Amino acid sequence: MEKLINILEDLHPGVDYNNCDNLVDARILDSLTILSLISEIEDNFDVTIPTVEIIPANFNSAQKIYELIVRLQEEE
Amino acid sequence: MSYFSVIYFLVFLPIVIVIYNILPKKIRPIILLIASVFFFFTYSKWLIIFLLLSSISIYLAGYFLNKLNVEKNNISKDLLIEEKKLLKEKYKRKKKIVLIITILFNTAFLFYFKYLGFFKNVLNNLLSLFKIKGSLKIVKHLAPIGISFYTLSAISYIVDVYNEKYEYESNPLKLILYLLFFPTLVEGPITKYNDVKDDLFKGSKVTYQSFCFGYQRILFGLFKKMVIADRLNIFVKMVFNYYASFPGPIVFLGAIFYTILLYMEFSGTMDIVIGSAQIFDIKIKENFREPFFSKNISEFWSRWHISLGNFFKDYIFYPVSLSKGVKKITSKIKTHLGIKVSSLVMGAISLFAVWSLNGLWHGAGYQYLFFGYYHFTLILLGNIFEPLIVKLYNKLKINRDSKIIVFFRIIKTCILIFIGEMFFRANSLKSGLLMMKVIITNFTFKGFKHLVLTLGLDIKDYIIIGLSLIFILIISILKEKNIEVRESLSKKNIVLRWLCYYALIISIIVFGAYGEGYAPVEPIYADF
Repeated sequence: MEKLINILEDLHPGVDYNNCDNLVDARILDSLTILSLISEIEDNFDVTIPTVEIIPANFNSAQKIYELIVRLQEEE
Repeated sequence: MSYFSVIYFLVFLPIVIVIYNILPKKIRPIILLIASVFFFFTYSKWLIIFLLLSSISIYLAGYFLNKLNVEKNNISKDLLIEEKKLLKEKYKRKKKIVLIITILFNTAFLFYFKYLGFFKNVLNNLLSLFKIKGSLKIVKHLAPIGISFYTLSAISYIVDVYNEKYEYESNPLKLILYLLFFPTLVEGPITKYNDVKDDLFKGSKVTYQSFCFGYQRILFGLFKKMVIADRLNIFVKMVFNYYASFPGPIVFLGAIFYTILLYMEFSGTMDIVIGSAQIFDIKIKENFREPFFSKNISEFWSRWHISLGNFFKDYIFYPVSLSKGVKKITSKIKTHLGIKVSSLVMGAISLFAVWSLNGLWHGAGYQYLFFGYYHFTLILLGNIFEPLIVKLYNKLKINRDSKIIVFFRIIKTCILIFIGEMFFRANSLKSGLLMMKVIITNFTFKGFKHLVLTLGLDIKDYIIIGLSLIFILIISILKEKNIEVRESLSKKNIVLRWLCYYALIISIIVFGAYGEGYAPVEPIYADF
């Protein structure tokens, strides 16, 4: 989780990622930032994020993104 | 049968409501299906055969994809992780064949009806450019109504089943109702199957509340179209047809008026669509979210024609960005220039694909392609310069989110949108460029007042348009603040409530731009 928060802070600093739960809805993560984030996650966590998983519900908070990573790691 | 015709909202819709309500719950979705077939017939008669062919193809594709999914899941139960991966790959290839054939089959109809004429012209232009004798001749056929919308809905359904987002629909009639549902048939929004399926087939009774809420929304749509859009139409037609005779400010005013007209017509239609569905307790997602409060072009497109934007984002932007080919290119860039540049390139490649398709989707013509690439360029430039602009604001110690700066950012976005819509409406790309030339080279206010009052609108018309736009602006501001006007109104007492309804009805009857001297706007998005 800490690794993920660091990635998020590098991409878009100045957000309280431990508590924010509307990252997509509030346009904090726009589509370009999501692309950067996916690229970093795939490199750092050794998972592939399928396009079908790119929905606001999976990216609205750091916790949700982390849960997605864990789920994909288990599936793979 | 237009959504704005008296026959639609005072005859067709009430008859459907009565029959729907007196029949048992289970039969009600069938009534919606019959009503939708009838509605389609009033526009396109026997062309319904093409819609049925599309429906059958996606039904069969859904069936086979589901069969492959079930087969794969059954076999993979007892396998090791590595074996599971191999099996998944094997089935993915089989599924991909089904998916590609289905998409090609469905887009072939779209191509035939919408783009054959355009590509014939492109080919003939090329032939004459290279001085090759001969030309292609193709008879243009009328397209089935709503083909651009139901084809995209069909594609979204089949891609989602392919991705195992949800199971296939085993009842073909339900699938046909999803594609043919009369409120969304002509101008969308492009609905996703799992967003509407529960509401569409549950057969909820029409209640007094759903009836009132639905018709309120329909009235609001009629108001936007008949009081504002139809009134602006004569001015817009004059300017776009005879732009060479007018000075720059009038041409630019024509572009502004056209943008307002387009918004009122399209969002007004969406009000009727959403209202009609709401009567039957079917929730259709909003297609507009106060687009003219956007601070940049990117934000505008997340608020304007939302369902089309979402379709392109889900089925083009992310799949292209994360495809193996694009990843291969951008991984090299990432190593040398960092993550931000690589994402920018990744986004640029996908945005190019999105805006090429977006332009073409709107119509087969160079002006639509130009419209697409215009927005592609603006969004790309916005993405490239965004970090620099943020730095500049910080250096100058200006709060980018202060009210005054936000106001100017909104104005800047609106001006860029007006220019884009001018090309979109222009009779051809050449006309659009010439209109731009007039705005730049002949920007004089000489005779402006006289022209403004002689192009089909008089002082009375301007007052009606102005007051109506203020009314809509207030509602939009309240919506931005998450205040739902209709919810608040429904809590007021019955006298006040009905006074508001009557005020709206009377204003449509009295101030509606119909009859002699007016030319109602043809449904713009129905032609796309």
